[in-house]
Amino acid sequence: MSTFESIAITDLKKRYKKSQIDSLKSISFNIPKGSRTGILGPNGAGKSTLISIICGILEPSSGSVKFTKDDGSTFEGNDLKKQIGFVPQEYALYEDLTLMQNIEYFGALYELSKDQIQERAKLLITEFDLLDVGNKKVKGFSGGMKRRVNLILSILHQPSILFLDEPTAGVDVQNKHAIINYLKKLNELGITLIYSSHHLDEAEQLCDNIILLNKGEIVANDTIDQLMNQTESKSLTELFLSLTNG
Amino acid sequence: MVKLRAAILKEIRQLKSDFLGLIMLFVLPVILVLIITLVQDSAYRIVNENNISVLIGNDDEGGSSQKLIELLDDSKMFIVHHTDVSEAELKDELLAQDMQMALYISPDFSEKLEAKAKSTSDLMMSELGVTETVDNGSTIQSPELDLYYDPVLQDNFTLSIVGILNSYLSMVESELMISSVFAEMEMETPPELMENMKNNQVAINRIPAQINGGKINPNSTQHNVPAWTIFAMFFMVISLGGNIVNERTSGSFQRLKTLPTSFGVVLTSKVVVFVVVALLQLTLIFSLGKFLFPVMGLPTLVLPSNIIGFILISILCSLSAVSFALLIGTYTKSQVQANGIGAVLVIIFAAIGGVWVPLFIMPDYMQTIGSFSPLYWCLEGFYILFLEKGDWMALLPVITFLVIFIFTCQFLTILKLRIEKLI
Repeated sequence: MSTFESIAITDLKKRYKKSQIDSLKSISFNIPKGSRTGILGPNGAGKSTLISIICGILEPSSGSVKFTKDDGSTFEGNDLKKQIGFVPQEYALYEDLTLMQNIEYFGALYELSKDQIQERAKLLITEFDLLDVGNKKVKGFSGGMKRRVNLILSILHQPSILFLDEPTAGVDVQNKHAIINYLKKLNELGITLIYSSHHLDEAEQLCDNIILLNKGEIVANDTIDQLMNQTESKSLTELFLSLTNG
Repeated sequence: MVKLRAAILKEIRQLKSDFLGLIMLFVLPVILVLIITLVQDSAYRIVNENNISVLIGNDDEGGSSQKLIELLDDSKMFIVHHTDVSEAELKDELLAQDMQMALYISPDFSEKLEAKAKSTSDLMMSELGVTETVDNGSTIQSPELDLYYDPVLQDNFTLSIVGILNSYLSMVESELMISSVFAEMEMETPPELMENMKNNQVAINRIPAQINGGKINPNSTQHNVPAWTIFAMFFMVISLGGNIVNERTSGSFQRLKTLPTSFGVVLTSKVVVFVVVALLQLTLIFSLGKFLFPVMGLPTLVLPSNIIGFILISILCSLSAVSFALLIGTYTKSQVQANGIGAVLVIIFAAIGGVWVPLFIMPDYMQTIGSFSPLYWCLEGFYILFLEKGDWMALLPVITFLVIFIFTCQFLTILKLRIEKLI
């Protein structure tokens, strides 16, 4: 069975209706299997638009996104969707349902069997320290707990690629630390991470590669070390400010 | 199928967790239908059964007043109650006994009526040359009756009652006149002549415009049970409309786009669950009409004979309500907006569609406007089934409108979701 190899993004453009400017201007890059790529940039740079296009939520105005297999063919349709996990910026949970009921629902939509759902749910809620609240309604959860649930629902089907759009927004340091550590563990298991955030310190901890966007264009695409050396920056913040004219 | 089952289960779980929503869907309509039917029942009885309770204060000891009362009693239009109170107290008695009308007959009623009849017969005999010329009766005083009525009754209704009384008085007076003529000629009044006069009136046949000879007339139950069921079904806009807005704005629909499933599964699950909810509402409220209403002294709901038509109309009404809720949930930006706009629109549709006040008593232009309300067509479907025993041809316009309404709502819903790139 063929496995995921890389994502090839070619000449991607996006202009929203009624907008006079392109939100993304001819973006091209590759994301190799097993990488931890951070898509960073100031507000309005096009980060969420780019992530939404790559994982299929938005249609690009032009250009292509190809998920290549190790045999050179590409993933399409539901086969592709089974390969990806998406952690949205919003909670996107059913708050009137319990944690387990959310897991059962999304598990079924991912075509998992009942046994698979139960087995993975047990593992994940234990891993994320949510065992005691499995049968409690999500609406009573704290922001940090909801973020962890958001992540659980995106990795339930064991995807090859995980998209994370601001996955730690509004959570405390402990929850943030737990989430980042878990993401690193996932990456060690071979899962490719594509991550978007404002938090540069978090990006520094998690990512090995940075794509820096500014006004819809890529202004940097390299490893953090390489970029720091090239720009003689002492920190990611300094690098960020120098490349985005901050 | 597994995905659809999971989506249906999720909808049911969400619905079960919404306690207030369930009260809105099931408890409030039950309270509403009970109260409104009880309130409207007496008015419907007046219109349908024509049994008017009339209190009679009779100070006259003559035969004409007795004759008039007998005629009222025999007509089966009036329920006659006698009282001994004075005329001054009759008005208070009317209100105290919750009657609709009171008739006061003065002590000289028979005397005056007989004098009037005799005067007319004398004049007739004189004109025919049977007797000598007599006084033309200018000094004869006509008898008077006082009719008191509950002020809530409409003018045209009281005028109808006055018309009926006049017709009975004419009968009594005619009998007196004929008796007087025969007495003048020193002859016995033939009894068959009197009987002939009473029975040989011109018959006016009342034929309701019903199909297949259906004979059921609308009563408070037959109007209110379907009317408030439809209202309750459409009021699910609060629950389902809010549900859609929440999923749209919480990012759930976006997340669904990354899952190996189609949006059709999600939409179908919502439609299935809420159509079942609407049918449960219908079963509950119709059961009240059939089993509880008779115990409460209200008319029993008579189920239609066209069961297939009944099931089809019930499903189309449910689908209309669900499609309307989907539309509102898709085009509004927040739950508050969905609840507000949805509720106001349902109330307007109900008002113009004949749910509160039957459409036939509205002016023509309101009847035209009312035909744009989906609730009107739903109600019309049940009217045809319940009241007119309608055949499929009569149901066809209803089915056509509801199918168009359902498809339009669903089309506009999908269009908006596509524009928003949510599906």
